[in-house]
Amino acid sequence: VILIGELSLWVALLMAAWSVTTSFAGAVTGRKELVSSGERATYATFLMVILASIGLWTAIFTHDFSLRYVASFTSSNLPTAYLFSSFWGGQAGSLLFWALILTAFCSITVVTNRNTNRALMPWVTGVMGVVTLFFVATLCFASNPFERLDFIPADGRGMNPQLQNPGMAIHPPTLYLGLISTTIPFAFAIGALLTRRLDREWLVAVRRWSLFSWLFLSVGILLGMWWAYVELGWSGYWAWDPVENSSLLPWLTSTAFLHSVMIQEKRGMLRKWNVVLVASTFLLSILGTFITRSGVIESVHSFAQSPIGNWFMGFLIFSIATTAWLITLRLRDLEAPVHLESMVSREAAFLYNNVALVVMAFSVLWGTLFPILSEAVRGEKITVGAPFFLTVNIPLGLFLLFLTGVGPLIAWRRASVSNLKRQFAVPASAGVVAGLFVLALGMRDGYAVITYTLAGFVAGTIFQEFAKGTGARRKMYGEGAATALYRLIARNRRRYGGYIVHGGIVILFAAFAGMAFKTDHELNLDPGESATLVDPYGREWSFTNQGVSRFDQLNRQVEAITLELAMDGRPKGVLSSEKRQHVDRLGRPTFDPSTDVGILTESRQDVYLVFTGMVGEGAEVRISFNPLVVWVWIGGALLALGGLVVMWPQADRARAEGGYITVLKPGAEYAGAAK
Amino acid sequence: VTGVKGADANVSRRAFLIRSGATLATGAASGIATAVATGVAIIPALLNGQQPLPGQVPPATMTGPMDDSALRPVRRDPKPGAVPVVTPERRDAMERGLKCQCACPLDVFTCRTTDFACPVSPAMHRDVNRLIEGGYTEEEIVAAFVETYGERALMAPRAVGFNRVGYIAPFAALGLAGAGVAILLRRWTMRTRAVAAENPVQIAQVDGTPDELARLEAAIRGGER
Repeated sequence: VILIGELSLWVALLMAAWSVTTSFAGAVTGRKELVSSGERATYATFLMVILASIGLWTAIFTHDFSLRYVASFTSSNLPTAYLFSSFWGGQAGSLLFWALILTAFCSITVVTNRNTNRALMPWVTGVMGVVTLFFVATLCFASNPFERLDFIPADGRGMNPQLQNPGMAIHPPTLYLGLISTTIPFAFAIGALLTRRLDREWLVAVRRWSLFSWLFLSVGILLGMWWAYVELGWSGYWAWDPVENSSLLPWLTSTAFLHSVMIQEKRGMLRKWNVVLVASTFLLSILGTFITRSGVIESVHSFAQSPIGNWFMGFLIFSIATTAWLITLRLRDLEAPVHLESMVSREAAFLYNNVALVVMAFSVLWGTLFPILSEAVRGEKITVGAPFFLTVNIPLGLFLLFLTGVGPLIAWRRASVSNLKRQFAVPASAGVVAGLFVLALGMRDGYAVITYTLAGFVAGTIFQEFAKGTGARRKMYGEGAATALYRLIARNRRRYGGYIVHGGIVILFAAFAGMAFKTDHELNLDPGESATLVDPYGREWSFTNQGVSRFDQLNRQVEAITLELAMDGRPKGVLSSEKRQHVDRLGRPTFDPSTDVGILTESRQDVYLVFTGMVGEGAEVRISFNPLVVWVWIGGALLALGGLVVMWPQADRARAEGGYITVLKPGAEYAGAAK
Repeated sequence: VTGVKGADANVSRRAFLIRSGATLATGAASGIATAVATGVAIIPALLNGQQPLPGQVPPATMTGPMDDSALRPVRRDPKPGAVPVVTPERRDAMERGLKCQCACPLDVFTCRTTDFACPVSPAMHRDVNRLIEGGYTEEEIVAAFVETYGERALMAPRAVGFNRVGYIAPFAALGLAGAGVAILLRRWTMRTRAVAAENPVQIAQVDGTPDELARLEAAIRGGER
């Protein structure tokens, strides 16, 4: 099976090359049999990559340590769940996993478009084939998971302990789904540019893929935050690490696209901009992969440095050059038939939102690459860490939060003064009340006060939108509040799902601001000794050392400390943190000791315990009070729920029943504005 | 707590490190011996950028091999009649601005209170404490670290010289993008007004009861998908 898998990879390479050649040839000559052959080759590539994946998984589960990959990232005592996830735990395996998902997406795209978008599809298949060809070629020539060792080790090295976490088993695949699915909208954009079919057709085809990509990027990023928080022991969930940043970049441009695409769909505007955003999202995904895998920038997430960075750099340059050339070539075709009518309109607000998102993406990219630039210019290494990113991005983030509240309040085309007064009264009042409330509580951190003020404003906007819509339904149809709310969302999923996403964003911002009040404390506690600390809310916590224990567990030796907690004299249970020394099956250490943190979660804050080590008889621990962290996960869940609502298929019948749909003839959406 | 293994429950940090080091050394030695015995050249594999195989386990940070050679002493003579002027809270805050030099991406405070295996951040912390005891201020201590390590001692570059470009560029981009959008919007709205002036369209005032108007509004707003 392993040999078949290895051979399948090479056949996949040939199939991908065949798909590219025949699809482009079919597109140019118009010969249907070539187009069909290209599409069948897409399926064949997928099948071959499946076989290759089965081969690698077989090697992993049978502990075939003659494969370098299996010996480097697994061991015979690795728990089964992590044997499964070790498939994407290293460089070559994760690339194969990438190819597996990519070819699956390509096949789904070909299947779902077999009767639609026929003029675009040969080009789309060809572009998807080029991307597939690149990844499979990289696998075959630069980072082959089936590479064999000259000897067979008795056991493998095992998996990095920090990857032995459920979050890490789910986070990479989720993020990959988001990153890889950016390929499909990109392929349609390039197909549209090549065929000059730059109307709504390609946008409709990519809408669901864009949402899918955004949703999985969001969930992947949030899972990564959760993993970092519970596993790395930093007592934080975002460190502005280059690899974290590189996952944020396509999310930012993707979010911008999901807003600006509405303007093109409704008004036919921003056509160039949308093509640029779709292409940027894909290119930033590749750039992020390059950063992660090349080792060019120091990062906590990096794979080992390897020559595949050159492959990615080459592909990136090729993709940027080709895309830029095509867009330049089609500038006249991308000219919008209508333009904005007012600087105070929803279209304009979306445009401002896009500017803020793209500038934020630029600032994150800039900060990530600045050490390289600085070293090139000055010859001196510098570090660009969290303080830099916070300085630059907090104002931009707050501006975005403000626009999140403003956008839904302004009318399309042109807002009148009376419209603005009527719409802004409740949200603005909610913002002022929220701001005064936190000031009255004694909050004096400027950014935090502004954040909670704006959060109140945006929450007011969302509440007003739901209240108005539900009220209108109750009045029109005599429905109960719950039914009216359900039907309001069900029949306007894109709009109200979007508001649910905004609700998630508000909660996330409020939670992020909470970390401004985080406090850390170092303690050295002898057995039985207690210490008292005051949390950011002014409550007294006592921590009593219940002792340190050592025991074996799974594939590790554990040294654990247990503290008994009490808050203002009331017992709050116990909290444990562990030092883990992972060992091979002969009991030899495989990695440096790692930390397993203890977390007591409350709605107000997390009490976060890190066992640093022993000094004499005393145990050294770090205790952090991290305000509002649980709201990050709640806000993230709400954001994902909103994304699902937006994505959920909506039957035309249901929309027609709602009585809100108007069928326009093709191009009619521009006519009104052009008059 | 379950699974306590008796007398060996409390192990000092140093003892733990020594024991781990000894075990690692033994493991490494046996690994090399195995490799030599089987006549296998493993060096090319290591040079090839792959992770080391069993038996060759160098100390590692979260980003790769630990560079404990990066540690350089930051020493200054104590000031005459030195009195510490930096509180422990300010010291911790200052250490959050100093980068651990072991090749991990963490600051000194976070690293020394998180990464059990790192010998660099505790050593840097000792240097900080020594300077505090010598009567040095926060600014002087940070300057001493920058003098020794260069600017990479800081978690974020100071906004001086070329580094200013780093801080200014994002806001300059925002300003430029904002100005560009403003000009574009102005041009678009003027063009739209000119077109509207050439083709005047009379829009009749909608006449209806408040309920009818509310239903019309709901119908229009419901169509905003």
